[in-house]
Amino acid sequence: MGYASTIKVPFGPQHPAFKEPEYFLFEVEGDLVVNVTPRIGYAHKGIEKAFEQRNYNENIYLAERICGICSHAHATCYTQAIEEMLGIQIPPRARYIRTIIAELERLHSHSLWVGIAAHEVGYDTLFMYTWRDREVVMELLEALTGGRVTHAMNTIGGVRRDISADIIPKVKSGLDYFEKRTKEYLGILKTEPTFLKRTEGVGILKPEDAVGLCAVGPTLRASGIKNDVRADDPYAAYDEVPFNVVTLDGCDVLSRTLARGEEMLESIGIIRNALDHMPTGELRVRVPKVVPPAEVFSRVEAPRGELIHYAKSNGTAKPERYKVRSPTLANIPALCKTLLGVHLADIPIILAGIDPCFACMDRMVFVDTKANKKWDLTMDQLKQGVNK
Amino acid sequence: MIEFLLQVLIFPGIAFLFALAFFYEWIDRKFFAKVQNRYGPLYTGFSGLLQPVADFIKLLSKEDIAPMACDRILFFSMPILYLILPLMALLIIPISSQTSLIAFDGDLIFMMFIFTLITVTVFLAGWSSVNRFSIIGSVRAAIQMIGYEIPMGLAMIGPAIAAKSLSISNIAQWQSSNISWGIWLQPIGFAVFVICMLAELEFIPFDIPEADTEIVAGWRTEFSGRKLALFRLGRDLEIVLASALITALYLGGAQQLGFVPPVVIFLIKTVLLLLLFSFLRALFARLRMDQVVSGMWKYLLPMAILQIILIQFGVGV
Repeated sequence: MGYASTIKVPFGPQHPAFKEPEYFLFEVEGDLVVNVTPRIGYAHKGIEKAFEQRNYNENIYLAERICGICSHAHATCYTQAIEEMLGIQIPPRARYIRTIIAELERLHSHSLWVGIAAHEVGYDTLFMYTWRDREVVMELLEALTGGRVTHAMNTIGGVRRDISADIIPKVKSGLDYFEKRTKEYLGILKTEPTFLKRTEGVGILKPEDAVGLCAVGPTLRASGIKNDVRADDPYAAYDEVPFNVVTLDGCDVLSRTLARGEEMLESIGIIRNALDHMPTGELRVRVPKVVPPAEVFSRVEAPRGELIHYAKSNGTAKPERYKVRSPTLANIPALCKTLLGVHLADIPIILAGIDPCFACMDRMVFVDTKANKKWDLTMDQLKQGVNK
Repeated sequence: MIEFLLQVLIFPGIAFLFALAFFYEWIDRKFFAKVQNRYGPLYTGFSGLLQPVADFIKLLSKEDIAPMACDRILFFSMPILYLILPLMALLIIPISSQTSLIAFDGDLIFMMFIFTLITVTVFLAGWSSVNRFSIIGSVRAAIQMIGYEIPMGLAMIGPAIAAKSLSISNIAQWQSSNISWGIWLQPIGFAVFVICMLAELEFIPFDIPEADTEIVAGWRTEFSGRKLALFRLGRDLEIVLASALITALYLGGAQQLGFVPPVVIFLIKTVLLLLLFSFLRALFARLRMDQVVSGMWKYLLPMAILQIILIQFGVGV
């Protein structure tokens, strides 16, 4: 008597399983999770408000700073939105360069994730090796764009830097090495018995749940649903470069891991093809500074899944409203469903299974539940660290 | 009397064992890092040799925080107990000669008792700190013990049956005089024992009680400063104890080989075992609690029993 049948186990906001602050409250009965309450918003940066206070050119670099891993995806999504509002087409070479950088970014994001997933199940050796080889991609990105994390390649109307012919062999040899290593790691992941024991059949997300709860990206494709913005609504040069949409029907964490591994191999193929078939010509077109009043949606397949940007302009030099829906946010409901009924020990790997990027997800208004009022912050207030 | 005191306090007693504990932690960290394509400790001393000592001193000087709600007596005494238990157990293992410092008939049983007591210490340490993660970690440690304790006991009994003695020194002497080590006579028992020791040491794939991505630092979450330093040193001594015990029971103990003094043979054998531990812990992912317990009962225990049956039929004696 007097004992609660469930105990509450908090994960976060500070927890070794998370690389970013976020909070999940688990109710655990014995070793099984019976309820989970997510509480998002710890890494709010006020970016959407900041968009409204900067002009369209400055916003490219702001968009790039939404996320440190998929910076190019956000920048592409932003520039696409603005280009659509302006009604311009970017030159074909720029489309290919955007594709190449996007796929290199997918490579580094996925190999980072494979390392994290291995770390979450205590397989630190694989974590060290994948991160060592990820360095190859990071160096290629640096050689191509000048930046390891934020590449600043996109601009409204095209790209800022060319990929010269003399760097292409270097990229290709880097890809050859990375492909060899990726295949080896995929082999390890498929055969290592302790890893299989921890991931096979763990965190089942049924296809109907995945669709019903609007999961995106590899999480959705690992449940057997063929859904990829690159194929469904091609942007950049994806309509010209052949590739397969990887789907697996295991519905578990193992499938999510292998789906990302296979996607890495597809990405390598895309980059090779794009490098070979890159058309010559202009890198960018001149665009007017002022955007006509319009409302647009822009979609990009970020490494984590479908990324949506919404922009509304009012004819001035700054957007009137800007909204970002990052793939992690879309995956949270599916994640919570997946977490029900699992072992406590499986929580980290399932949480990591959606490749969460909480910092790009968190954008919110401030709410005082007691006084029941909501408010936004100005940039100056944010700078001063005021949150009231 | 003075000679005995010197032996207990300096060589091969407490001071030597502390030095060995730090040295083995360095070997473990360095080798583990090499397997993972890292450097490991580099700066303190030759190739980072003094890093474990530096860590220990640093932790001693750190702030020592005790939670308000903790059971103070247990919380303060468990780190000391955790350090003392492996130290005491090491005194009954032959290190510098064929006979251990303190040898009596039945010290093998005493050794089993100490191993259980170490886990009980872990459990009480986690329980007394009244933290969700600590309690989960300590319960996991206790459940894990349910899994590995019986196979470990059987694996320790195997050599004892062969040597017809319950004294660790006698078992080691029997092997060296018989010119055949336990590992050749009873390979299954050796494998079972190594796996059980990995579980006892909470090494991957059995680092479940302190799985950092799941339950922060497990049962050690609330310990800081001096107490954490004692726990770390206790862990290092446990590593020494595990490799020393396997050496004594399965590798012929501290033998005299020609002019080579027994302590050198002891060091070589234990370092080899340590490298085996480090290598194994780099190879696997962490298992889940239920997988460990069911695996131990389904596979490890029958294997240990099979070894005992084989001994009864005269194989491996």
